[in-house]
Amino acid sequence: MEHEDPRNGESPHRSSKKSKFSSNYIPESEIRDEFSHHQPRVARINNGSFGSCPGSVLAAQRRWQLQFLRQPDAFYFNTLRNGITASRMIIKDLINADHVDEVSLVDNATTAAAIVLQQIGHSFAEGKFKNSDTVLMLHCAFQAVKKSIQAYVTRAGGSVVEVRLPFPVNSEEEIISEFKKSITEGKSNGRKIRLAIIDHITSMPSVVIPVKELVRVCREEGIDQVFVDAAHAIGSLKVDVKEIGADFYVSNLHKWFFCPPSVAFLHCKKANASSDVHHPVVSHEYGNGLPIESSWIGTRDYSSQLVIPAVLEFVNRFEGGIEGIMERNHEQVVKMGKMLAESWGTNLGSPPEMCTAMIMVGLPSRLCLNSEEDASRLRSYLRDCHEVEVPIFYQVPKDGEDGVRDNDGCITGYVRISHQVYNTLDDYEKLRDAINQIVKDGKTCKMLCIE
Amino acid sequence: PAVARINNGSFGCCPSSVLSAQNQLQLQWLRQPDNFYFNQLQPKIIQSRTIIKDIINADHVDEVSIVDNATTAAAIVLQQIAWGFAEGKFCRGDAAVMLHYAYGAVKKSVEAYVTRAGGYVIEVPLPFPVSSVDEIVKEFRQALRRGKQNGRKVRLAVIDHVTSMPTVVIPVKELVTICREEGVDQVFVDAAHGIGCVDVDMKQIGADFYTSNLHKWFFCPPSVAFLYCKKSTNNSDLHHPVVSHEYGNGLAIESAWIGTRDYSSYLVVPKVLEFINRFEGGIEGIKKRNHEYVVEMGQMLVKAWGTRLGCPPEMCSSMVMVGLPACLGISSDHDALELRTCLRDKFGVEVPIYYRPPKDGEEGGVVTGYARISYQVYNKVEDYYKFRDAINQLVDNAFTCASLPIS
Repeated sequence: MEHEDPRNGESPHRSSKKSKFSSNYIPESEIRDEFSHHQPRVARINNGSFGSCPGSVLAAQRRWQLQFLRQPDAFYFNTLRNGITASRMIIKDLINADHVDEVSLVDNATTAAAIVLQQIGHSFAEGKFKNSDTVLMLHCAFQAVKKSIQAYVTRAGGSVVEVRLPFPVNSEEEIISEFKKSITEGKSNGRKIRLAIIDHITSMPSVVIPVKELVRVCREEGIDQVFVDAAHAIGSLKVDVKEIGADFYVSNLHKWFFCPPSVAFLHCKKANASSDVHHPVVSHEYGNGLPIESSWIGTRDYSSQLVIPAVLEFVNRFEGGIEGIMERNHEQVVKMGKMLAESWGTNLGSPPEMCTAMIMVGLPSRLCLNSEEDASRLRSYLRDCHEVEVPIFYQVPKDGEDGVRDNDGCITGYVRISHQVYNTLDDYEKLRDAINQIVKDGKTCKMLCIE
Repeated sequence: PAVARINNGSFGCCPSSVLSAQNQLQLQWLRQPDNFYFNQLQPKIIQSRTIIKDIINADHVDEVSIVDNATTAAAIVLQQIAWGFAEGKFCRGDAAVMLHYAYGAVKKSVEAYVTRAGGYVIEVPLPFPVSSVDEIVKEFRQALRRGKQNGRKVRLAVIDHVTSMPTVVIPVKELVTICREEGVDQVFVDAAHGIGCVDVDMKQIGADFYTSNLHKWFFCPPSVAFLYCKKSTNNSDLHHPVVSHEYGNGLAIESAWIGTRDYSSYLVVPKVLEFINRFEGGIEGIKKRNHEYVVEMGQMLVKAWGTRLGCPPEMCSSMVMVGLPACLGISSDHDALELRTCLRDKFGVEVPIYYRPPKDGEEGGVVTGYARISYQVYNKVEDYYKFRDAINQLVDNAFTCASLPIS
């Protein structure tokens, strides 16, 4: 019995002539081929963490690598810079940036955070900002970003305000309301908010944040700079940097945009005083602007930055290109989420319109997931004994609140399921059955045996 | 093929058996990245660090961090100096000392992190061509004295082990000793060309920080380097500038996860050791033979062209500067670059060229251009004959850089 699969399009054409102008989109068998290097039998429902890269793009990457190894000097002098510029031009168009000078390619969002925060750190250290001035971030900001704030802001004397967002969340208004409250706190006692860091799609728990609205609020409230950490965004939802209007916007290309590890773009709005933004690994191009500085940070394998044209070719083999992929990923992940929640008697962590290609699904309370260790144990157990790869989130219960309940108790754990073009219904059924089995066996997280 | 690749010094090289091993590691990651991240990556990095620790005679594996390249290592060391100024540990005007021939990227890093934070930078002028180690030691002592004038303290000395352009082996052990005598806070040895090229013995050299690229002369794929940090209370506050989850757990642990990356080049060190040990004498044998051959080739070239080497043989490693005929008329950095391009495009020879401005009082006919030739295990004598003949042909054709197009 064939399961419903929208990848083949609404009306698959069966023309005998295969030309690139026919509507012969990539057939399912070729999609399987492209990801045949993935470990078979593993239900890989965690595209969100480390992304994925199709075989044809890996092949393109290898060609670039070999070209460098063949004659590195000639590559350095004649090829590298143009290749990077070509990639930046494609990104500029994809994200609706005004000018390619606004687009830098860096290793990952973690690097971009260091770049933005280092300039904030300089301002504190050099006395441009006062010690009471604040940086605003979400409580559920990515751990690496929080550490970067510690390293560059707190260390330099700045203060930090965290926005506590509700989870599960029911509407954008809840988020906007908390955000405004935190701004008031950050500005209390005559303080100035120098930077707001806003996730476009939070990591754990995963929710789509109404960034356009929040950036607008930031401008109204006189916040100096806004940095949108959109690690998951590109290939996941529409990215229009002009519309969003942030000063800095970063997204990883290896998560949802089929690039090999690793590459990200950092967009810097030209209008702001971004001449003081530097790559922390300083090399020959220091002072020539961030995009140029970032294009040479010492001898490296830059091949992941050069394959973006090949990625575009790949996504355009799908119906609707990247938009089509995004739409179908979203539909499928919501469908799978609902299927799981129904089977387990639990809930979704957010309404469908507040998620993209990832969604949080409540785990049965009978698992008694009561700590980070429990979450970690369950994840390892699922990997080792059921060949399911999925990250688990532990929701710390709020004081005095019961939180969401299922028939047996409080829901304290959530899985974050992803859907990418290589996923099939089997993957989610495997997860569904594994959890049901654990519950049926009467096991709690603490009772699970792992190696 | 058909390229006389006599520039191993710039970008290094990597044998196909190591590339294969790297490819296997990349595929392992792509196959199941979460599993690799949780179960494989950290043990494999520790394995590489342990091998390096043994080769460089470090006391403890905690002292060995793996980073992308020497440029990154420089940023790490210099960023902590910047904090020293910003946090008031150092006084404005305290000095950092570096060689005039320090690598361009390192100079920029010093500007970005030391000058910007209020430090005073002193460059040690070194003679080139150079005839003896004493010339270098003398200039260095003088520069340190300048650094200590007006009650300043010298917070950091940055010393190349093997300078890049022009290339000369610096007597680092002696210079580190002088630094200690003169009360320099910290010594950072930039040995981008160190491992696989010269002797790297951390305890012998005695620096606080020592970095070397593994992709230049140690057969690793691009790119990977180690940064050695001597265990001491003086330098416990180093951080990787790309801050991630492991911030505060020590530089080696911080550097082992700096966000999603392809870490495969960090992990092939065991395979590289296998490759090296297939050669007689292992890495020591390779170093020795590379040095002998590059000196031999250098001497062959200076004889053919009637010029000179840039330093005595004992002050070079597996690279040596070879004077180019004065009649070529190299009179600027631009000329040097254009000549290099001409050699690449018209003669199939890859070799970097250095412009050495004439000093006051030097007469005409002085050698103003030097080629930096390298020798690595893949080179053959034909590579250097090709270069010799190319230059001879240019000379025969009465070529001068003045005739090159202005870019």
